Amino acid sequence: MKLLTHNLLSSHVPGLRPGGGFPLRIEAAEVRVRPVPFNAAFVSRLVPRLRWDALREAAESLGRPSELPPEPSPGYEADEEFLRRLHHVLLEVEVLEGSLQCPDSGRRFPISRGVPNLLLSEDE
Amino acid sequence: GMAEAEAAGDAGPAPAAAQEGAELAAVIGATVPTGFEQTAAEEVQEKLGSASRISRDRGKIYFEVPARSLPQVHRLRSVDNLFVVVQEFKDYQFKENKEDALKDLEDLVKKLPWTDPLKVWELNNSLKKKKTKRKKHNLQSPASREKLSDGGEEAAADQNTTTDQEDCAQNPVAVEPAGGQDTEDPQGVTSRNGVEEEEDNEQSDVQVEVQGSSECGTGAGDGQASEGEARVLRFRVTCNRAGDKHSFTSNEAARDFGGAVQEHFQWKADMTNFDVEVLLNIHNKEVVVGIALTEESLHRRNITHFGPTTLRSTLAYGMLRLCDPQPTDIIVDPMCGTGAIPIEGAAEWPYCFHIAGDNSPQAVKRAANNVSSLLRKNESKDSSAALGVPLDVLQWDICHLPLRTGSVDIVVTDMPFGKRIGSKKKNWDLYPACLMEMGRICTPGTGRAVLLTQDKKCFAKALSRVGHIWRRAQTVWVNVGGLHAAVYLLRRTCERAGEAGPLW
Repeated sequence: MKLLTHNLLSSHVPGLRPGGGFPLRIEAAEVRVRPVPFNAAFVSRLVPRLRWDALREAAESLGRPSELPPEPSPGYEADEEFLRRLHHVLLEVEVLEGSLQCPDSGRRFPISRGVPNLLLSEDE
Repeated sequence: GMAEAEAAGDAGPAPAAAQEGAELAAVIGATVPTGFEQTAAEEVQEKLGSASRISRDRGKIYFEVPARSLPQVHRLRSVDNLFVVVQEFKDYQFKENKEDALKDLEDLVKKLPWTDPLKVWELNNSLKKKKTKRKKHNLQSPASREKLSDGGEEAAADQNTTTDQEDCAQNPVAVEPAGGQDTEDPQGVTSRNGVEEEEDNEQSDVQVEVQGSSECGTGAGDGQASEGEARVLRFRVTCNRAGDKHSFTSNEAARDFGGAVQEHFQWKADMTNFDVEVLLNIHNKEVVVGIALTEESLHRRNITHFGPTTLRSTLAYGMLRLCDPQPTDIIVDPMCGTGAIPIEGAAEWPYCFHIAGDNSPQAVKRAANNVSSLLRKNESKDSSAALGVPLDVLQWDICHLPLRTGSVDIVVTDMPFGKRIGSKKKNWDLYPACLMEMGRICTPGTGRAVLLTQDKKCFAKALSRVGHIWRRAQTVWVNVGGLHAAVYLLRRTCERAGEAGPLW
């Protein structure tokens, strides 16, 4: 699971407060780094759609010193170093084993071989 | 005639005739998923710069390219099979009497302009040869074969290919292994035929060629001519006939036309191990004679692990093109099965982000395996580390998608068909819930969905209930495994969904 995907995920356990399912807390047992071809325009256009705090939190929870600023600074579109660091965090760091925890309900969803299982059980 | 046969039997570098072929203008016919002729024509224009004619015989387009462009032609993603046109007749006058009509077809053979198309065929062959040699090292294991016959309507096709593989195993010939064997290639990607992989892996090709020759010990390029002599070409004729005014059947036409071909070229007829496949396509008054440039059923190019309803890559490509993905679009397939659509997406639109999800653990496992195969294909030549792809696989419930509201741009999926998976009654409940949830996750205003379904009635009804979220923009009528289906392009309205969920 890449952190870009994680940034889009929200728990659907029933009965949560509005917004109570985001962001899922990552508990990573195994992480892999794998290079992905960099495209500045691609990364740059993603910025407005990201939940920035959740992204920083996720990167830090993976035990990686956060290379991201508290906020994208004005003019980030032209800042290649910033874009490359963002690219790395979003696409190159993958959680292979671990779990995702719903912030409100505490319900855990496993991640196995890079695939998160977000199915709810029958009675949920 | 015989000169061509001799040239084709030669080993090693492309014979002189093939080099000459490269200078020719070839008229290429391509079969495409019915309904996506326009999409295919656009791809041809974009990648080859040629305009296409769309035939009245559905599922075919024609375009002209220099024969040296054949490698690029083979890389087209919307095309299932390719052939070089020998001659087209727009308004063929069939005699009413069967014997006369068939005699006319026989007489036609010696009048057709075979020379140039055969040169194109030879050139195409020389492009395929390198991959054939590599294939000898990748003969299937029984375990892999078992994977191929995974259920559903694919079983019939797969069993045919299994048989061809067995032939190949005994007889490592120039004949391109059929689609099934392609899937076992450890390089991962099932390319249409030799051409694509050869382009990507030139270095390894040289290596393998050397090994191939010494292994089979003949020095003959195709292994067939073990004595190193020129050998007679083997051929078959495939006839497709449609129309209600013909006095003969396709079998009769193939038989008699084939007899005349055999007479004219002195080739040997062979239904299974052929070098030349002559195509005789008859659609009412339109007759097209061609020579095949691809083997059948090679459209599973990205999929190495099949499921019961794996979608053709060419159809997946056509669906994706329909929604015009823009760089940075986030594209989700929430019922991805073995992942045909997102994998095609990640291969052709690498500057989008692709998310594949399914509720079935088997589907998710197969999708993940197919992604691994794609990753192996992407292995860079410089290092052994495979480059990642912008794609993630998840397990989830389509009715409760764990995605933020309005967070994705495009939803593309193959909706469950009543007959092959699930049931019609289940679809009745499922479809509206799917459309609501897909509407919720999709960006209002700019979002779109491309949905394939056979259950058109159920879909239309479900769509009528969600008119405040989705507008129908375009419908493409297609044929999926013999079933009449439709692909709907929907646009997301500007109405926003509440965060509370799909009850709005």
